[in-house]
Amino acid sequence: MRLTQGTFSFLPDLSDDQIRAQIEYCLAQGWALSIEYTDDPHPRNTYWEMFGPPMFDLRDTAGVMTELEDVRRTFPGHYIKLNAFDSTRGFETIRLSFIVNRPRHEPGFRLVREESAGRTVRYTVHAYAADRPEGERYE
Amino acid sequence: MTPVAPTDDTLDLGAALADSHVAEVLATLDAELIGLAPVKTRIREIAALLLVEKLRMQAGLSAGPPSLHMSFTGNPGTGKTTIALRMAEILHLLGYVRKGHLVAVTRDDLVGQFIGHTAPKTKEVLKRAMGGVLFIDEAYFLYRPENERDYGQEVIEILLQVMENQRDDLVVILAGYRDRMSRFFASNPGMSSRIAHHIDFPDYAPDELHDIALLMLGQLQYRLSPDAERALVEYIERRRAQPNFANARSVRNALDRARLRQANRLFSRGGGSLTRDDLMTIEAEDIRASRVFKDPAASEAER
Amino acid sequence: MGAATDRATPVDTADRYRAGVLKYAQMGYWEPDYVPADTDVLAVFRITPQEGVDPQEAAAAVAGESSTATWTVVWTDRLTAAEAYRAKAYRLDPVPGSPGEFFAYIAYDLDLFEPGSIANLTASIIGNVFGFKPLKALRLEDMRLPVAYVKTFDGPPTGIVVERERLDKFGRPLLGATVKPKLGLSGRNYGRVVYEALRGGLDFTKDDENINSQPFMHWRDRFLSCMEAVNRAAAATGEVKGHYLNVTGATMEDMYERAEFAKELGSVVVMIDLVIGYTAIQSMSKWARRNDVILHLHRAGHSTYTRQKTHGVSFRVISKWMRLAGVDHIHAGTVVGKLEGDPNMVQGFYNILREPRNPVDLQRGLYFEQDWASLRKVMPVASGGIHAGQMHQLLTYLGEDVILQFGGGTIGHPMGIQAGATANRVALEAMILARNEGHDIWNEGPEILARAARDCLPLKAALDTWGDVTFDYTSTDTPDFVPTATPS
Repeated sequence: MRLTQGTFSFLPDLSDDQIRAQIEYCLAQGWALSIEYTDDPHPRNTYWEMFGPPMFDLRDTAGVMTELEDVRRTFPGHYIKLNAFDSTRGFETIRLSFIVNRPRHEPGFRLVREESAGRTVRYTVHAYAADRPEGERYE
Repeated sequence: MTPVAPTDDTLDLGAALADSHVAEVLATLDAELIGLAPVKTRIREIAALLLVEKLRMQAGLSAGPPSLHMSFTGNPGTGKTTIALRMAEILHLLGYVRKGHLVAVTRDDLVGQFIGHTAPKTKEVLKRAMGGVLFIDEAYFLYRPENERDYGQEVIEILLQVMENQRDDLVVILAGYRDRMSRFFASNPGMSSRIAHHIDFPDYAPDELHDIALLMLGQLQYRLSPDAERALVEYIERRRAQPNFANARSVRNALDRARLRQANRLFSRGGGSLTRDDLMTIEAEDIRASRVFKDPAASEAER
Repeated sequence: MGAATDRATPVDTADRYRAGVLKYAQMGYWEPDYVPADTDVLAVFRITPQEGVDPQEAAAAVAGESSTATWTVVWTDRLTAAEAYRAKAYRLDPVPGSPGEFFAYIAYDLDLFEPGSIANLTASIIGNVFGFKPLKALRLEDMRLPVAYVKTFDGPPTGIVVERERLDKFGRPLLGATVKPKLGLSGRNYGRVVYEALRGGLDFTKDDENINSQPFMHWRDRFLSCMEAVNRAAAATGEVKGHYLNVTGATMEDMYERAEFAKELGSVVVMIDLVIGYTAIQSMSKWARRNDVILHLHRAGHSTYTRQKTHGVSFRVISKWMRLAGVDHIHAGTVVGKLEGDPNMVQGFYNILREPRNPVDLQRGLYFEQDWASLRKVMPVASGGIHAGQMHQLLTYLGEDVILQFGGGTIGHPMGIQAGATANRVALEAMILARNEGHDIWNEGPEILARAARDCLPLKAALDTWGDVTFDYTSTDTPDFVPTATPS
């Protein structure tokens, strides 16, 4: 299965040059970049681990690309995403977020159905990988 | 720039120079900074080298990417930071540096307070500087061999790495007093070998300092009375000979104190109205009141 | 009529209140020297007076009839601070290029309105005046709501920023599709369409406005099937998915019942139709906030009164009312779709919904400066005859904070619904990628799509099928207003 979270997941995985171009765009808008990683891809998992604090005041992509190399080297089997944060009034939120690394094998999710009153079903989604402890989820 | 096969076609140096707008920056340099003749010459030489190197690349010749890291040595107030800014511009115009901004730091911006603090702190500064120029003032403070718990060495390691492996991303300029910098390089040959250009910033000559003072006064919209002019010449001569002379900065400080005395003089004069001229003019007494004019021994004791 | 004497300034008090019939202008409804206060509610009407009716008198009449006047003088006015309650027509401009039509600017005191009630606002402004005989036609073009009044409303329960955070989707428009056919599918089959579209790559699917609870499909069966489909697609993709469950009903009680069931089943969004009325809309808005559900509004029926340039209420006014009343989504036009939509007018609507402040912009139909006092932003929805081949135009005209609905473009895809959804999603992501890289997507759009299609067969098929179908909009349509008047 292919996790399709993030802005560009339906396209082939981005090359470093393409990632650089997106970072350049974010810097031009004055957005801060941050890198996050996780091995729990549940769609409601809002808080992935931060790889270092968000990078404010950058002028060039090189700094981010170095961090990216670093995080890929450290967590090669995790989902890693790049976020761009806009602190202007009326937004104060993420403006762009896309996956830059994924585990080689993505087992996906099971839909858990809990039958309740009448024909009502309570749903939740369960990642197969999450059956194993953190850190041991993906080869 | 895609390299072109070597041919007999001539490459237009004049056009290349014009296109790069480097000449304009050099002209600005001449206009805004007084003196510094040897420095300006060096800058021009380096710019020429880089421009020619660019043309060589276009012609398919290459001596490898040039090393751009530099050291600026000299006393305070001799224009090192200003020149660093202009250098960043020139590097950007010639395409050696992607964004052309300057990040100026000292040891405290790079070194952490506890174990594990230094690396992220330094890396953060480096990230901000990438695409531009990192200017480290009094760089020798990074090296404190007498204190084994000092984290400055870590910074040096990181810098050495980046200066060697990320030459496309960052240019580093180390700056400080001449003698201390040479001791620093002697103890850190790795660092020394990565510096391509050493530029020395000599102290300003007295007449240059005088011109600087007049330029500053003009910008502040003050003028000197003829007596005050003579007093200023004497002041500069005396002050230069004293320790901790910071060139242009010392001149600036002296002018600020003269302005203070002028204001108090006008105030204590009492009564009567002030003309525009009164407000603008600095008199000799405003300058001669300085400690510098007192007995040198006494002024030493006061310091 | 029409003579100079008709433009008399208000007569003095004793004469003013003597029994009889006075011209509106004489009753005090025409006040050209009046400077609107910051707390006044302002409106601009396009008036078309009957032949021989003085336009100033007509403007005064509109002011009067939308506030305190009646056709004859009444002594009971003396029991009130009548001056304050009278609306004032303070400015009159001819409409450029349309002789016989005028823009009348009218100011209303804040005290005329109940705080936080759109029903009251509309009853006040448009409740009485539109059938008035001396006017051939009347259109409410724009309103200025003062900050003091805006602050009495809760506004959109979710807003664009929080919606994106709940869906965890940033940096691109959202994608949706209305289930087709509009009517007739049973619950189970309906859910199949939802599943296929969401699985293929859309973020939302949608009930149509008239899908409520009919013999062919009871609403409970629809809700159950849709939520099964939504969750199944979420598990298949790892994304948050939604279906706008239409909770429109005959009574508020029915609506609350339906909305509660949608919430119980875990839907992130519910949908209502404009025809439920302003009171119901505000109730549902409060409900949505209390229950953390996104509220989608279908503007059903609006074109009965928004479409004619001379008579009715402009959609931009509806947009303003709806932002105040508090909806999270509202259909606002596509520009390049099958429906005629002047790009300037549509951009005007989008600005009203999305911006924190609207400056005067006569070209886009914004007659007043409007400060939204940090009221949350409404996500505009573009729906109607658009397809993947127009992605570059859609992105250019409509921006990023919008929901693009490709009903036919998804469900009619030759390779199936999933393929249709995938084609749209790939086209969108490729276009955003290219735009961020700095490409001129307006001109390079077709190439960008073609390149993306090389890695995506569904997109290739979509472009082959519909690629030539462009309502190629070269925006030369002149708005009906050329900026000559000075901003108010």
